[in-house]
Amino acid sequence: MRKIFILTKREFLTAVRTKSFLIGLIIAPIFMGGSFLVIKLFEDKVDIVDKNIVVIDHSGIMAEPLMKVSEERNNEIFDPKTNEKIRPAYNLEIIEPELSDPEQQKLDLSQRVRNKELHAFVEIGPEILHPGEDRDKYRMFYYSENSMMDDIRNWISRVINNQVRKLRVTDLNIAPEQSEDLFYWIEVEGMGLLSVNEDTGSVKDAKKSNIGEAVAVPYILMMIMFMMVMMFTVPLLSSVMEEKTERIAEVILGSVTPFQFMMSKLLGSILVSIIGSSVYIIGGIIAASQLGFADSIPYGLLPWFFTFLLLNVIMVGSLMAALGSACDNSKDAQSLQFPAMLPVLLPMFVMFPMLKAPLGAFSTAMSLIPPFTPMLMTVRMATPVTIPVWQPIVGLIGVVLFTAFIVWVSGRIFRTCILMQGTPPKFMNLIKWATRG
Amino acid sequence: MYTIELENITKTFGKHKAVDDLSLKVPKGSIYGFIGPNGSGKTTSIRMIMNILYPDSGIIKLFGNEHLGSRLDNVGYLPEERGLYKKMKVKEILRFHAELKNTKNINSEIDYWLKKFDLSDWANKKVQALSKGMSQKIQFIATIIDKPEIIILDEPFSGLDPVNSEILRTTILELQANGATVIFSTHDMNVAEKMCDFIFMIYNGKKVLDGTLTSIQDKFGTDTIRIQIENGSKALKEIPGIEKITDFGQMQEIRVAKEIDTQDMIKAILSKTRVSKFETTKPSLNDIFIRIASPEEKEVQNA
Repeated sequence: MRKIFILTKREFLTAVRTKSFLIGLIIAPIFMGGSFLVIKLFEDKVDIVDKNIVVIDHSGIMAEPLMKVSEERNNEIFDPKTNEKIRPAYNLEIIEPELSDPEQQKLDLSQRVRNKELHAFVEIGPEILHPGEDRDKYRMFYYSENSMMDDIRNWISRVINNQVRKLRVTDLNIAPEQSEDLFYWIEVEGMGLLSVNEDTGSVKDAKKSNIGEAVAVPYILMMIMFMMVMMFTVPLLSSVMEEKTERIAEVILGSVTPFQFMMSKLLGSILVSIIGSSVYIIGGIIAASQLGFADSIPYGLLPWFFTFLLLNVIMVGSLMAALGSACDNSKDAQSLQFPAMLPVLLPMFVMFPMLKAPLGAFSTAMSLIPPFTPMLMTVRMATPVTIPVWQPIVGLIGVVLFTAFIVWVSGRIFRTCILMQGTPPKFMNLIKWATRG
Repeated sequence: MYTIELENITKTFGKHKAVDDLSLKVPKGSIYGFIGPNGSGKTTSIRMIMNILYPDSGIIKLFGNEHLGSRLDNVGYLPEERGLYKKMKVKEILRFHAELKNTKNINSEIDYWLKKFDLSDWANKKVQALSKGMSQKIQFIATIIDKPEIIILDEPFSGLDPVNSEILRTTILELQANGATVIFSTHDMNVAEKMCDFIFMIYNGKKVLDGTLTSIQDKFGTDTIRIQIENGSKALKEIPGIEKITDFGQMQEIRVAKEIDTQDMIKAILSKTRVSKFETTKPSLNDIFIRIASPEEKEVQNA
């Protein structure tokens, strides 16, 4: 143990003295915290530059209502208390369609948008009130430089559809005052589940579910685990390879066994990753509390998170150390690095589908595949959905067994390869070294 | 008492038998020289003694016991290929190795050895700033900093200049005088002849020589004549009974066939040319090495 401690100390000090550790641990949180601050500071600072928009109305019925709604809106662009402008005015200009050369008309308008005279222009189809069979006749188009992300597009869509509905109701000879309810849209609000207050025994009201709990918490936890594994285990591959090619390994092996050598490298990674993740988690808790999300912090999940992180670091770290021992050059290392990173890369790709359906068959199955369990089970557990109790336990047992197997295999490869020169680390060779030692 | 014992050790890599049925007993406090051509099995044998490689069969005992799979603190090992963490400082790396070996009084030991090897000014420099010779000295210090009872050195003198070789040589002898058992491999037969109490030669994985220098030389008899003659080695070419001529320019070394008396050979040479100086002697270790490790016919042709 003494020798493992000495080697681990060296690994740990080497890791924490690197610039990447300092950047990752100190500058990254500052940067992340800084971006939160920037978002907080600028969340009210909306774009208040007036927007000039031209509408080509083929239907001939939208000019008046659009102008009316925009004027009503433009009357509310100043804060009534401070008289400060809080939103941009939408200055609409309705023009007649140029039927002889519609393309030229749109080209001219496009040019005006490019010249910043206009923000956008809208084209309303002729049969918008009563769509017929020809789809092109009842479509609406919003032309701007960034139409997909432009909020005004949604505003125009809403205004026109409301107006179209009103006109359709009028066509049915229903008095407007009788039809007001028709357009009253009620959202279904997302709520959590009710629970019993353990102290008082009373029923606790359900919390309104929010994006933070549903997405941010699982996402942040997964990102921390991803970063820790990537930052502190992947470099093991190159460091072991360097120790092998620089002939440091044999010197060390004169004093310690290959197992002690590999374990100390793993322990070094475990230590720095636990310190790193603790810094992030504590920083996250402080930041969340300051930003008013204290209720969203999943304290109960943290022991699971650290357990899974530990196992993930051991699993990927031992694999990286073994592969590093099998490589003689950086080309070999690069070709092996990607497959060894799959336990942390693949969960990143399937995370969002899993967030939508944490209890689905896909999510359940993926999170029970041992290499992916640490990250994916953490994600599922971090969602507001209650995961069946047996699943994290079975997942944990699976990961423990799989990690033990990987450490055993890696130890055999490491022991065989650390002094071996000139044999390429082909897949079949790795299998041979793992099975025959 | 034997500090290291190897009993019928065999090690195979794939189809290649690197060490074949090797037995060896290294007495306590001796210096044992391992010689042999490249690829003959010296490093494999040393790695097996160090437990870095395991033999396929046979027993290795250190201090009278087997230690399969473990590392002993009182064994110092300097591998053939040197390797130090380049970004660590000299003092840090010596401390690291000293701690691994459970050394007492680490600071004073580091200061003592750095001073002895004239490296005190480099104590706080990074390893990457050192010359190859300096790195090698640091590596040597790291090997012996805990005053181990067994010191195993694979090619300790390679790459060192004569001054540093001499410091290393005297240090090894000092360590021996203090009770250490030393094994070292070398390609320098002069060093082996001068320093080793026992010499062991391995060739194609098999032990071909083992014993004191005198006992080894005795096996080959007094079959060598060192001679200084007019006209160099040309005059010797047609004399029957010469197995091998090594021409050193100013002097020639002749190996005489077993059935020929060296006195008769000198007479035969005198009849052919003028001799200014001669000496009958036992073969040098270098000569013995070459006799074993290279075909005789080739040697005579090349002479």
